[in-house]
Amino acid sequence: MSKTYEEMIKELREIVRKIDDNSTTLDESITLYEQGTELLKACENVLSQAELKITALNRE
Amino acid sequence: MGGFQDSEAVRLIEEVLSVAEVTTIIKEVLDDERLRDIWVRGEVANFKCHSSGHCYFSLSEQRGGKTYAIDCIMWRTDASTLNFTPASGMDVIGFGYVDHYPPQGRTQFYIRTMRQAGEGEKHLLVERWKRELAAEGLFALERKRLLPEFPVRVGVVTSPTGAVIEDIKNVIRRRFPVEIILSPTSVQGDTAHREIAAAIRRLDGLVDVIIVARGGGSFEDLFPFNYPEVIRAVAASPCPVVSAIGHEVDVTLCDLAADVRAPTPSAAAELVVKDRTILRDELKGFYQLLTRGIMERLDLATREVEELRLHLHPRRLQRRVSERRQELEDFVESIHRTIERRLERYRLLLGQLSTAMEAANPVAPLDRGYCLAMKGGKILRSARDLKEKEDVTLKMKDGAADVRVEKVTYEQDV
Repeated sequence: MSKTYEEMIKELREIVRKIDDNSTTLDESITLYEQGTELLKACENVLSQAELKITALNRE
Repeated sequence: MGGFQDSEAVRLIEEVLSVAEVTTIIKEVLDDERLRDIWVRGEVANFKCHSSGHCYFSLSEQRGGKTYAIDCIMWRTDASTLNFTPASGMDVIGFGYVDHYPPQGRTQFYIRTMRQAGEGEKHLLVERWKRELAAEGLFALERKRLLPEFPVRVGVVTSPTGAVIEDIKNVIRRRFPVEIILSPTSVQGDTAHREIAAAIRRLDGLVDVIIVARGGGSFEDLFPFNYPEVIRAVAASPCPVVSAIGHEVDVTLCDLAADVRAPTPSAAAELVVKDRTILRDELKGFYQLLTRGIMERLDLATREVEELRLHLHPRRLQRRVSERRQELEDFVESIHRTIERRLERYRLLLGQLSTAMEAANPVAPLDRGYCLAMKGGKILRSARDLKEKEDVTLKMKDGAADVRVEKVTYEQDV
């Protein structure tokens, strides 16, 4: 997992912004849409695969 | 005699002050820094809580065989923040200011907050630490950091046993499971503050956010969380700290120094991790935005194509061609007219020339019955061109005749 959830959400926000921008070409928009759906899938995976892990530090 | 008494009375009256004047003086005298923001210890007497919620009582003290008492008043809003119910006979420390209430002529101690004595010394200590640490800027609002949106590792400083860590685990498991790094410590007792500070420092660089938590307890129980060691450890933490010590009404210095204060440990956990269901909704929202975005973009592209097609429509083209053709025809027409006008002018000129030429035509007189004498193709213009016995040709309108000159007569010299 290279990107954090936070980074992916940030990227998604940027993609949505670009798609809404009419100066983005159609080809670009389609590529962005594909990237967006991939990111959404990855985010969904992070959420569904998240697991509670507990580590206790030793007291000195 | 009576007259003397009267004038004596007038003299006295001139030195008499009104009640209002005395009241003003009393208020002025009481406006003293030594009577503002003070802690006063005493025994509660005649405690009465009115139906309005305001509390009236006095603080008294026996000293050197004498009794001292001060009237006290505590407004409803201040009284409601007390974590104990005062009663007559209780040893307390009140915090407030002294002022005079003119309508009743009472000088009273206006108590803002109150604590049970015994805890008193420690309360005073906390107040002192609070002042000192505040002076160092450790509670300053501009120090407060925002919590990370999606922490990967959450540090928890609390007792490894007990409800607090379980509550935190439950909330985090339910909302958004992440890695919890527990930095265990005892949370009460004489050395707890050192352990707490060490437990906070131990998490340095290991986590994205720290929760310092303890369940409810008495002032005494929560006391370790007021120590400067703990406050400095919180302030020095490289990541934001959420503090949840005791119940919401208990405020420790640790709560004041933390970046965020939570009313309970569970609430702290809720502040630290987002709820997965909300995140899923957010993802759905993104999906809708993406889909709507691409649809709108496609619509835009379709509209663009449609507009272009409209521009390329044959009828539009025909109109353009017919417009051009009309222009062309108009042009040809205008050229024709110009040429026609010019030709007309030439014809006129030609007619004039032709008339002029007609006039100069040597053959023209023949029509009127004259004849031309010619010899060898040349017109003979003078009798001197004629020689007797010579043949000449006479040219008439409708023919010619060869004739012989018989005699030549000259009529005059030319």
